[in-house]
Amino acid sequence: MSTSSPLYAITALFDSPDAVLHAAEETAKAGYTKFDVHTPYPVHGMDHAMRLKTSRIGIFAFVFGSLGVLSAVALITWVALHEYPLVIGGKPFWAWPAFVPVSFELTVLLASVLSTVTMIVFYFKFPNNAHPLHDTPYMKAVSSDKFGIAIQANDPKFDEKSVREFLKSVHGSAIEPVAYDVEDLDHGQQLLDARFLAVLAVVMFVVASGTYFTLNYAMYLPPFDFMMEQNKLKAQKPSELFRDGKGMRPPVEGTIARGFIPYAFHGKADEAGKMLVNPLLATAPVIDRGKAKYLTFCSPCHGNFGAGDSRLRGQFPNPPTLNSDKVRNWSDGSIFHVITDGQNVMPSYASQISRDDRWAIVHYIRVLQRAQNAKEADLR
Amino acid sequence: MTSLDYTIDPPITTRAVTPAEIDSAIAAPLDRFPSKRWWIAFGVTSTMLAGGLATIAYMLYEGIGLLGFNQPVAWAFDITNFVFWVGIGHAGTLISAILFLMRQRWRNAIARFAEAMTIFAVLCAAIFVTVAHLGRPWLAGYLFPYPNQHALWVNFISPLVWDVFAVNTYLTVSLVFWYLGLIPDLATLRDRTTNAVKKLVYSVLSLGWRFSNRHWSHYERMYLILAGFATPLVLSVHTIVSFDFAVSVNPGWHTTIFPPYFVAGAVFSGFAMVQNVLIIVRKMFKLEHIITMKHLENMNKVMLLTGSMVGYAYAMEMFVAWYSGSQFERFVFLNRALGPYAWAYWTMVSCNVVFVQLFWFKRLRLSIPIMFAVGVLVNVGMWFERYVIIVTTLSRDFLPSSWGHFSPTIFDFGIMMLGFGLFFTLVLLFVRFLPSIAMAEIKAVMDGAQAKH
Amino acid sequence: MSASMKLPEAVRAELPANVTYAGWAAFWVGVVLVALGYLIDPTRASFENVIGYLLVVSIAVGAIFLLALEYIAGAVWSVPMRRVTEFVAGLTPLVPLAAIPALFHLHDLFHWTHTEAVASDPLLIAKEPYLNLPFFTGRFVAFSALWILFYWLFTRHSLKQDTTRDQKYTTYNVRLAAAFLPVFGVTLTFNAIDWGMSLEPHWFSTIYGVYFFSGTVLAAVATVTYIVVRLHEAGMLPNIKRDQLYSLGAMLFAFVNFWAYIAFSQFLLIWYANLPEETFWFLHRWQNGWEYVSILLIILHFAVPYLVLLPQEAKMNPRRLKFMAIWILVAHIVDLYWLVMPTYSKTPVLDWSTFGWPLLVAGLVVSMLSYKMKRHSLVPVGDPKLERGVQFRI
Repeated sequence: MSTSSPLYAITALFDSPDAVLHAAEETAKAGYTKFDVHTPYPVHGMDHAMRLKTSRIGIFAFVFGSLGVLSAVALITWVALHEYPLVIGGKPFWAWPAFVPVSFELTVLLASVLSTVTMIVFYFKFPNNAHPLHDTPYMKAVSSDKFGIAIQANDPKFDEKSVREFLKSVHGSAIEPVAYDVEDLDHGQQLLDARFLAVLAVVMFVVASGTYFTLNYAMYLPPFDFMMEQNKLKAQKPSELFRDGKGMRPPVEGTIARGFIPYAFHGKADEAGKMLVNPLLATAPVIDRGKAKYLTFCSPCHGNFGAGDSRLRGQFPNPPTLNSDKVRNWSDGSIFHVITDGQNVMPSYASQISRDDRWAIVHYIRVLQRAQNAKEADLR
Repeated sequence: MTSLDYTIDPPITTRAVTPAEIDSAIAAPLDRFPSKRWWIAFGVTSTMLAGGLATIAYMLYEGIGLLGFNQPVAWAFDITNFVFWVGIGHAGTLISAILFLMRQRWRNAIARFAEAMTIFAVLCAAIFVTVAHLGRPWLAGYLFPYPNQHALWVNFISPLVWDVFAVNTYLTVSLVFWYLGLIPDLATLRDRTTNAVKKLVYSVLSLGWRFSNRHWSHYERMYLILAGFATPLVLSVHTIVSFDFAVSVNPGWHTTIFPPYFVAGAVFSGFAMVQNVLIIVRKMFKLEHIITMKHLENMNKVMLLTGSMVGYAYAMEMFVAWYSGSQFERFVFLNRALGPYAWAYWTMVSCNVVFVQLFWFKRLRLSIPIMFAVGVLVNVGMWFERYVIIVTTLSRDFLPSSWGHFSPTIFDFGIMMLGFGLFFTLVLLFVRFLPSIAMAEIKAVMDGAQAKH
Repeated sequence: MSASMKLPEAVRAELPANVTYAGWAAFWVGVVLVALGYLIDPTRASFENVIGYLLVVSIAVGAIFLLALEYIAGAVWSVPMRRVTEFVAGLTPLVPLAAIPALFHLHDLFHWTHTEAVASDPLLIAKEPYLNLPFFTGRFVAFSALWILFYWLFTRHSLKQDTTRDQKYTTYNVRLAAAFLPVFGVTLTFNAIDWGMSLEPHWFSTIYGVYFFSGTVLAAVATVTYIVVRLHEAGMLPNIKRDQLYSLGAMLFAFVNFWAYIAFSQFLLIWYANLPEETFWFLHRWQNGWEYVSILLIILHFAVPYLVLLPQEAKMNPRRLKFMAIWILVAHIVDLYWLVMPTYSKTPVLDWSTFGWPLLVAGLVVSMLSYKMKRHSLVPVGDPKLERGVQFRI
């Protein structure tokens, strides 16, 4: 040990728990405060002899435990009442008896782990392998079967000679000085050390490329791709299962879609004009509906007001106006038939516009016609 | 009559040993090259482990259809193994925490070992439930409540979620407890070893422990607090496992005695396993003077006690099933005893309740071959207990039209082997690399270790 | 063991006269209240009698259990105070007496004794091989006899040791304890089923025996704790230190938790499965005012004792222990009341008649203690574990 390095403490060894207990009592009595006893196992009564206060670590356990129970209850309550409420087994949303187990486990988890970490990191200041006592014959002795006292050099009463004499007077053996390791004292700034940066770069590279590989490649390998490899029939895809080689099956002959009503007047415009009556009343919601559908489906050719002024600017032959006397004198059924069956270049709109919407459009066309041919009476 | 002297504290070791002898007795195996027998044992267990891993890999590739379970027996071998291993894990915490709180000094010699076995057993259990039973282990993240882009949350009302919390908390707290106990011993090893690599490893692991009394003072209090937390925790874990069954409405599963009954059974099987392994280890490493016959006898007594508790629970279940007057309850128990799985039921009763009664006799309690055999039988019986509970109830539901039958496939056994392979491989590695007896704790309770006031 | 240690001596102390008188007074007031109760409303009185009987059972038989526990576990801390436990167990021979008035009113108590009701009820017909009067009475006699037998053997060995100082009696009692534990488990369970569960004969719960066991141990430990602390404060138990008190406090704390664990397990499983054949029992206890008793029970029996006894310091503080012991005994009586009375009445009933049995039992405990203390030493001087018990340190 280099003589130039500063002294940490003077140490002494004892053979029995009684001897060290006695020596610790004497040390405290002599007024030393910065000293420590090192024993291979906890010796009962030593805290009292060293005049240590009872450990208050239990308070941390209580605080962390309370934190655990509160956070568990808060999380569960938020999930159960607000974020993801589900009725399960006919239980109320806030089914408190069922929340007891998880709350209990989280309480124990936080209390045990956090208070242990608190003790090790904040009380013991661990990990720390740079303490001067490490790798001394003294440490090797107390870690097996000897008991030791170390009176530190930073004790206000410390004086090397008197401490040596004091330790001798309490029957300590192997009284030795322990000095700081110079290397350990000279830490310096290590964050920008090239080796540290290199390790950091390697770690970053490994983590980043590993994540990239996992997310982009590994997750698409078997068996992780089980969702993609599904032996089911898909619409529009061929299949060897059926004789016609199609995955999608045609409906059974005579199948009628839900809500389908057959149209009896295909190609019979006159009959339709006579027989069909608008089933809807001209109420405001119906007319609004008709307006919306008219503007979507009819107005591109017939114009926004039915004047036959196509919005397609001649790309398509313009239809005649809907406000002509001819159309105004048509029955509702005739207009409905034209929308349903088509006329001249106009195709059938039966597949795009539902039956009720077609009748609503008829009502709206009547509104347009009347607006173009308003009478005095309409203004009053 | 054997003349016990009640006036003196029962000795911890069979002959006087000094602390230094303790160190060398326990640390010596770590410095020696492993013996031939160790290699043979390791070869066997790692082969089992490899076989189990191969089975599981094949199962993950092909799908869980390889296994024998079906509808209605959708829980079968995997859940049986899960409950079995969680149960084995209970002895460790009982020995290290509950016996610590009861100040049973004999616990110190076996606590470390039992705690390690707890951790290994819980790992096995976790594998069975997350890998084998769920079949898609990479989706296990869904079991945890965390904010995700699916806006999904776990169902906190489900006992399966309670299981996730219970098993993970148990594993974590056991690890913390175990590691906290290891720190001083790792520091002792650090100061003993002459090998530079070992020295580095032990230095890192021991975090720089210096045996300071200013540390011991907090350390001891923390150890007491952890024991205080671990005690209700160990009860809660198997209680929650029992809730998996008992919150249902199925006869044979829904019965209020399940929580304490499962805990007693868990401790029972755990002690049997610890006893079996200790019998081998004390012989193998010549630790007979530290792990004494007294330890084995006490463990046998605990097995007798918990085995009788399990017997009480069997009897209460039977009696109350009859007393309830409910035809479903009555049927399920008749079916257990006389139905297609009667062989499993009677294996369970004889192994768990009958054979363990041999321990009433001191001579049998102290005979190593007998106690070893009983220990093995207890674990067979406790495995069958879970099997009986799961399979008899599921295969005979309320509706006879949905009755079914379960028979395992070879892959079921392959995955079951994984548990034993993993567990014993970890145990063998543990005795090679870490002190299997808590040196500091043993030293603290030996004669003359504490000051005479 | 250091030679300077003074060997524990026998202590022959008597309770102060005023305590003895107070005990007798409580006993007789209790007797009068119980008798008046039977005169005015025999049905209600018999239900209260069941509470009183279960209370005596839990204190007396629970104390025998504590004795057995000490022997079987080889515990030393409880040796210096074991006589107190033995004196409390001295109530055992009186246990059957406490049930005798109720035995004459079984028809009021138990629905299953109504033959015409049983005849039209398939569930009760199914239970008849167990729930019938001859078997019920037979069980009652057998259980009482077994308890008295074990009490007598335990204390006889213990007292003989005072004079002979022979270690063989400890060995006897260890074996006796091993024999007692299974007997205790079976008798206590079926006694609880007979006098508690069968009050509502359609209901069943496999954990009922364990539930009653948790309350029993708690009642016995609380009684012993209270007496030990009082005698210790009066200087009659000089060998007791904070360390032994701590063990008592830890037992109280442990069993408070155990009770909560068992009670919650039973509730959770029935609540969760929601089967009508089980839930009605809890519904009776959650309606018409009983919900307040249920909540009170949780607070009295778990929440407060848990928080008060949680700090290590509290478990060895004599004043707090004394207070919590009484608190827990009250909570135990409320527990029994909660178990028994909802069968009698749709709403909770509380008046002078409710206090008859608790007063009677309290008086009985004090009188028994005073009677036994006059005859036997408070310290089991012949016990080989005594010195270790005195030197016990946590």
